[in-house]
Amino acid sequence: MSDLEHDFGAFVAARATSLLRVAYLACGDATEAEDLLQTALERTYRKWDRVARYDNPDAYVRRVIVNAAINRARRRAILTIIPMHSPPETAVRAGDPDLFQVLMGALRALPPRQRAVIVLRYWEDLTETQTAEVLGCSVGTVKSQASKAMAKLRSALGRETLEGAITDAHA
Amino acid sequence: MPTLEEEIRRLMTEGTAGLHAAPDLMGRVVRSTRERRRRIRIAAAAASVAASVVATPAVAFFTVGTTPTAVERSTFTTAPEPPAIDDTPSMPSAPPSLGDLGDGREFGRMKVGYLPDGLEWSGRSADWGDTYHVSYVYRGDDKGSYRVVITVYEGSAVEEVERRIAAYRDEADGEAVTVGGRSGYLVVQHVGEDGMKGTPTLFLRTSDSQWAEIGFSPVYAEEYSGTEAVDAELLRIGRGLTSTM
Repeated sequence: MSDLEHDFGAFVAARATSLLRVAYLACGDATEAEDLLQTALERTYRKWDRVARYDNPDAYVRRVIVNAAINRARRRAILTIIPMHSPPETAVRAGDPDLFQVLMGALRALPPRQRAVIVLRYWEDLTETQTAEVLGCSVGTVKSQASKAMAKLRSALGRETLEGAITDAHA
Repeated sequence: MPTLEEEIRRLMTEGTAGLHAAPDLMGRVVRSTRERRRRIRIAAAAASVAASVVATPAVAFFTVGTTPTAVERSTFTTAPEPPAIDDTPSMPSAPPSLGDLGDGREFGRMKVGYLPDGLEWSGRSADWGDTYHVSYVYRGDDKGSYRVVITVYEGSAVEEVERRIAAYRDEADGEAVTVGGRSGYLVVQHVGEDGMKGTPTLFLRTSDSQWAEIGFSPVYAEEYSGTEAVDAELLRIGRGLTSTM
């Protein structure tokens, strides 16, 4: 194994699971997340001699994953190969044991870039500026996208009902 | 009471805790990359042989890749790495062209009144019936490249454009514009997965049942002083478009 492969292998071993979770949250499907991650890592591997010198190679792979997820979702919407997910038709029931699935349903219903903003801001804990850099847009766009996304999540989940469910789940 | 943001963060953390990368992921990445390089080298060698042996029958051309000769192997080592392959599904077959368009200023049911200095028809076009496009390049540009591409959508294909614009608008991506009294939409499309800047694009409604999509290649857009200059040029091209429907 070359030094290049060894270094890349160490990076994959350390970071792949975290990146897989980003991919899953960005696309909402476990199988597609694995494909997104592998595709992103292949692209990274081809440029590893350069990417490895970055302060944070994670950021590069994350950018590839998130933008690939956005592009694929847009392509799907354009080609209408796969029907778009719809928001839950009924409000969350109090005491719903699987709030995460409810959240994922609501996330899937968001436009891809709004979903990416939520994942980067609240899962990756990136600042608005960092999120804008990843998505190649302005900080103002990140703010407006986050605001719209949060409003939709609040509405789709039903904040009051959600809070009730959380309280019940914790009881 | 935790905020909604805190609860989203907690649910994401708990909900993905069971996800773990496959142990063979590294192996798959390396194998796939090697396989990709092998395919590229074979394709490059085949193209090289095809170019040098013009009269070679097609059947001989396709048998070259399986048992490379010493000459071909030497070609492999010099084949340049192509740009990243996009994961867009390939088209099933090449569409027919619009034929000889002369200077390329009139095609299908569209007239082009203005093109930036130095650009000329690339000689290429594609015709899917209700969608067709023509590209423009500098003389001497690589075959297959483009600087500006104009795609026209008609009839039921118009719905596709309107869906795309609605999606951009929903994401607050791009802006609505008016060009010579006609409605349009400016946006940078296809933000590159490898950090490329994307394709500055103007969608323009050229008639009730026809839209035009004018796109600059990211490389061409860099020739301009900035976004405003690119947008101004896109609008100039848009202003010069005339539907002949």
